[in-house]
Parts: sequence; structure tokens; C-alpha cells
Amino acid sequence: MSFVPGLGIVKGMALTLRRFFEPKATIKYPEERPDQSPKFRGRLQLLYDEYGTLKCETCFQCAQACPIECIDMGGIDTKGRYHVHWGPPETYGERRDESALRRSGRTVPDKAYEHFESIDLTAVDGILEDHDYDPKKMLEILEGVQAAYGFLPVAAIKRISFKTGAWYALIYGTASYYDHLRFERPGDIAQGAAVDAHRPGEVAFLAGLDGALHGAKHKSPAATGKVH
Amino acid sequence: MTTVLKTPAGWPSILLARAAATVPAGTDPTDLDIAVRRGAFEGLKRAVRDLGPAGTIATVASSGLRGRGGAGFPTGEKWRAAAATQARRRYVVGNGYGADPSSFTDRALIEADPYSVIEGLAIAAYAIGATEAVLAVRAEDVQAVQRLEAAVAAAEEAGFLGPDLLDSGHDLAVTIRPVQGAYMLGEETVLLKALEGRRGQPEQRPPHPTERGLFGMPTVVQNVQTLAAVPWILVNGADRFAAIGSKASPGTILVQVRGADKAGVAEIPVGTPLREIVPLAGSLGRGRTLKAILVGGPSGGILPPELLDTPYEFDALRAVGAHIGSGSVVLADDRACIVDLGRLLTSFCATEACGKTIPCRIGTRRLVEIVERATTGRPKPTDLQLLADLSADIVDSALCDHERLTTLPLTSGMRYFGPELDAHLLRSSCPAGVCRPIAVAAGAAS
Ligand SMILES: Cc1cc2nc3c(=O)[nH]c(=O)nc-3n(C[C@H](O)[C@H](O)[C@H](O)COP(=O)(O)O)c2cc1C
Ligand code: SF4
Ligand code: FES
Repeated sequence: MSFVPGLGIVKGMALTLRRFFEPKATIKYPEERPDQSPKFRGRLQLLYDEYGTLKCETCFQCAQACPIECIDMGGIDTKGRYHVHWGPPETYGERRDESALRRSGRTVPDKAYEHFESIDLTAVDGILEDHDYDPKKMLEILEGVQAAYGFLPVAAIKRISFKTGAWYALIYGTASYYDHLRFERPGDIAQGAAVDAHRPGEVAFLAGLDGALHGAKHKSPAATGKVH
Repeated sequence: MTTVLKTPAGWPSILLARAAATVPAGTDPTDLDIAVRRGAFEGLKRAVRDLGPAGTIATVASSGLRGRGGAGFPTGEKWRAAAATQARRRYVVGNGYGADPSSFTDRALIEADPYSVIEGLAIAAYAIGATEAVLAVRAEDVQAVQRLEAAVAAAEEAGFLGPDLLDSGHDLAVTIRPVQGAYMLGEETVLLKALEGRRGQPEQRPPHPTERGLFGMPTVVQNVQTLAAVPWILVNGADRFAAIGSKASPGTILVQVRGADKAGVAEIPVGTPLREIVPLAGSLGRGRTLKAILVGGPSGGILPPELLDTPYEFDALRAVGAHIGSGSVVLADDRACIVDLGRLLTSFCATEACGKTIPCRIGTRRLVEIVERATTGRPKPTDLQLLADLSADIVDSALCDHERLTTLPLTSGMRYFGPELDAHLLRSSCPAGVCRPIAVAAGAAS
């Protein structure tokens, strides 16, 4: 066991080199699950007791402990819809306050959100009720909310998320895709104009087409809606 | 803008046959009694009483009808695939979105004869065993939405739709669904996503919607013109339909022509040479000559006048680098700059690309950058090669047809208007004097 200077680093680099030339694989978790040693600490597993029932008591301790907030609990309700079962805020108590509140589906007393919050949600609740809290009717719900408020307030989207069980991010993704749905108050002209300029839309295309067919002088790129 | 243009005498009419001016102008197209007197729901009766589901599919298949939504897929085959898939429920979706903002073909049809579309929808649903049918229309076309809603209500009242239609034992619920907000909604998988209330991004195929479509159930998505042709086929026979138009794609189709002083929708037999379609758009204006024809809408091909003999037909147009697409045929006169036109079309398509995949999100954007460098007189020496390579890569790796077709304006421009593109890319000059080449290069302009 004589001490050879630099042996450690050579060993380390040898391992690196070996791994470097080995074939690589990207495993599509969770569709594919590689064999993992039972001792592996990153292993996610729900255990069953001797009667075959799940030992999980939905105590939310794992959700509380997960540093990247990736664990939550969910299930299928009587209408076959998937819901995340948010725990009460206390269960996320070790987290930052806003995070705990947001995960429990409550509104967040965050300064940055404050000015979004002061809307009356009765209209949203009525629209949700009309559409049976069904996330498959999301476009109808969003269109209804926009008709009621003139735009899609953050608080309304949160409410929709909470009531339908669809993730906030999913609803935001849907709403941001369709050109006729907007997150800006109609009064906010500057912001609206910036959005319009970024997506010049059909009217601009038609005008441009008519011009281009007859050789009208081409406008500067900025005027055609490209944002540099 | 939904003017219906007169076609030369002797040209067959199928889609607009019932709406044709046999009745005094100003009659309400949603009046069920008038429509029935003109033959509405005769096709459905024939399907239900004589043919049965399998017979209906066989008749449609033997007529050779191909989808009018752009891709030209054989309709009978689509129905057969959906009917053959085991499922608890099936859907039929009528695609009346009419994505191209410069084309009003589907809208003209719906407004002129809503019953033909609804009847086609009911026949398709009966044939594949669907109990729910959705007809998606553009929410902006208020009149089309209203007429369809009125027509569906009247037809339901009269027992042509709804539970146990025409005493066939078949139930059918028809919903009119106005959708809006994205060009991509015309694409079938995107439309299905919108109907499910989700973000509208295309899906990988297979599985095709005929296997797994709306809410995971087998779904037949069909353009409204395709649907409107079906009743005519059942009433007049598959053979008579197959005799009209070209051999490979029989029947008629609506085109949207757009010229200098005239624009409108016309019904033409598939396979009509472009030469005979162009005059429908009127004259180009005094002293003007035809420089190019844009066939297929924003992602169409730009064809030179030498190709005027090309038949307006799915395969022939594909072969020359254009496509039927939205059914639009647009004329550009000698003042137009092809590169500028290509820039306009490509940037529209790139803005409307959904952003799901890399060819879609980045590839189309790079195409726009290349062509914008060309039109502002700041091309790079490698741009011509880059344009060719990038287009080929996008076509190879695209998820949906939109990206593939987005390359068409520029690749067809390259193919037929090479010298003009070279002038922009190699000499920073615009022969048509439309673009703004940089000052230094302008001295060397042609
Ligand atoms: C970008 C894009 C836009 C489309 N827009 C439309 C449209 O506006 N209307 C339509 O019927 N089909 C449109 N299609 C074609 C549809 O995806 C689909 O093929 C068609 O609705 C099927 O019906 P068909 O077999 O009767 O043609 C579009 C396709 C793409 C890729
Ligand atoms: S950048 Fe990539 S990972 Fe991020 S949202 Fe866009 S597509 Fe998804
Ligand atoms: S437009 Fe995005 S994948 Fe085709």
C-alpha cells in the first residue's frame, strides 16, 4: 500500500475514459424504468403491507420534504378526472410560505401578485359551474372568463386551476396559444400593441399580400411585425 | 368577400349545385323546406334505407372522392379505417375552419348551403357508427356560425339528426363549435386538441385520428367540401362522380381566385388546367402581364406562367412544387418581386408555426432570417446553399405538414425564379425595385 502520487487521479480518469467510450442511453423515465439497486437512494417506491394495501397514508411528508417540489398526490374522482390532492398549507410548512400556499391551491399573499388579486370571482365561479368544472371545456371556460372580465386575470386562471384540477401551467399554455385570448387588460394599450406587433396576424398578412402582388414597396422589417 | 364567381357554361357543379340560383336570390339558405325541395337529405335517406353503413362506405370509396382539405387522402379509406377500429365511441369532425386568411372557399360553401355539409356529416357518422359529430367553424364568420346553428336546429326538429334519425336506430348529436385564434387550427390534430380544450399543437402520426382522435376515440376529420360532395355521390351514383374531374381525383373543388380587380370563389372540376382558372380572376389591369401564380395559400408554391398547363389536381401540383392547400390561386403581376412575396408568405407561416418541434420553432425562423437578409440587401455569401439545405432538412424532420409546406414559397421561388433570387442573394439588388438593397450594391443593380 505504498503511496503513489497522482494514482488517485489516474484511477479516476481511467474510469471517466472507460465510461466515455461506453454506449450511452437516455432512459425515458417513467415509461421505461431501469433496474435500480434497492439501496439506491433516489428510488421512488410506494410500499405495500402484508395485506396488499398501500402503506402510504397521504401524510404529505414526502411532498413536504422534496427539495424540488416534484412530489404531490393525486387520484381519479367520480367523473374520471384526475385531480391533484393538495394538502392543507400546514403540511408544506417547512417550505417557503408562498410555495406552501400555492401548492395548497390558496392565493398567495405575494407582493408581486397583489394587484392581480383584487377581482370579484363570482363570475368565474358561475362560468365554471356552467361548464361542469370540466377541464375538457377549457376553451369555453377561458372564452367565458374573457367575455366577463375583458381579459384573463391571473386570479381567475388560478381559480379555474383549483376548481377543475388542471395545472395552472397547462391552462396558461392553452390560453397563451390562442390569439384571441389575452392576459392584458384591454385598457393597457402599450402592452396590447406590443403583443399585436409580435403576432401581426391575418389582417396584416392580407394587406401585405395585396401589396406584394403588385410590387408595393416593402416596408421595414420592424413594420412587418418582426421584433428584433 | 365570399363572392361566388360564375364559371363557363358546361362546367359541372356538385358542391354548390343545390345552392345554385334556381331559386330567386334572397331565399334563406337555412330554410329547411326549400332545401328539402331541392333535394337535401336525399343522400342520407339513401344511405339509411338502401345502402347501410358498409354499402355507404363502399359507394364513397368507389367514387374515388379525395379529401378537399389539402392532403387529398381517399375519403372511403379513411372511413373504413375508422369503422374498423374497435371502440366504445366514434366521432366525426367537420373541418370548416378555413385557416388561410385569404381564402373563403369553405365559408362560401357553408353560407350558401349549410345543409349539404350537415348532411355529409350525418352520412359519415352513420357510415362509421359515430354518435357524436362536431362541426368546427371559424368564430369570426358570424354568418356561417348562425346559419349552421339554425340549420342543425331545423334538421333536428325534422328528425334528420338527433336520436333515431330517419327511424334508422342510429343516434347522432351534432354540435357546432366556433373556434378561433390560430392558423394551425386547420390542421386536423390541432383542431382535435382545440376541441379537447388544449393547447393547439400537432401530434405525431401514426396513430392517425382514425385510430386515436378526439378524446382518444377513432375520429374521422373531414373538410366541409369533402362532406358536401358525399350526398351528391349517394344520390347520383359513384360512377357519375368518378366521370367528373380527373381520373386520379374525381369531382369538383372550390377555388379562391384573387386577381387585380376581382376575387371570389368558383367551383371547378378537379384537374382543370391553371390556364382556365386564371381568367376567372378577371384581368390584371392595363399593360400588366402575369408574372407568377401562387397556388395553395400562404404555404403555396409560386409558379411561373410557363406552368399554366398544369392541371389543378393533388398529385400534379405536388410534382411542380405547389399544392392545393387552401384552394387559393393568386395572381402576381409583373411589378411583383418574388423574393418579397416569398418573404411575406414565409414570415406569416413562421409566425403561425406552433413551436412544438425544432424544424417548426427554429427552422422556419431561420428561413425568414435568410429571406429577410435578401430583401434588405444584406445577404451572406452562403445563403443560397443554406436556404436549399435548411429547406431539405425541414422537410425531412418536420412533425406536421405545416413546416414542410412552409418551405414551398422559397423552394419553388428558387426553382422557377432563380435569376431573381440570385440577384438578391449574390448582388444585393432587386430587379423589380421592390426591396431595399443596400446603397453600395444598388449601384450595381441590374
Ligand atoms: C397548416 C395546415 C392547415 C390546414 N388547414 C385546413 C383547413 O383550413 N381546412 C381543412 O379542411 N383542412 C385543413 N388542413 C388539412 C387537415 O389537416 C386535414 O387533412 C383535413 O381536414 C382532412 O379532411 P379531408 O380528408 O376531407 O381533406 C390543414 C393542414 C395543415 C397542415
Ligand atoms: S425552450 Fe424547449 S424546453 Fe423550454 S419550453 Fe421551449 S421547447 Fe420546451
Ligand atoms: S407547426 Fe409546429 S410542429 Fe408543425
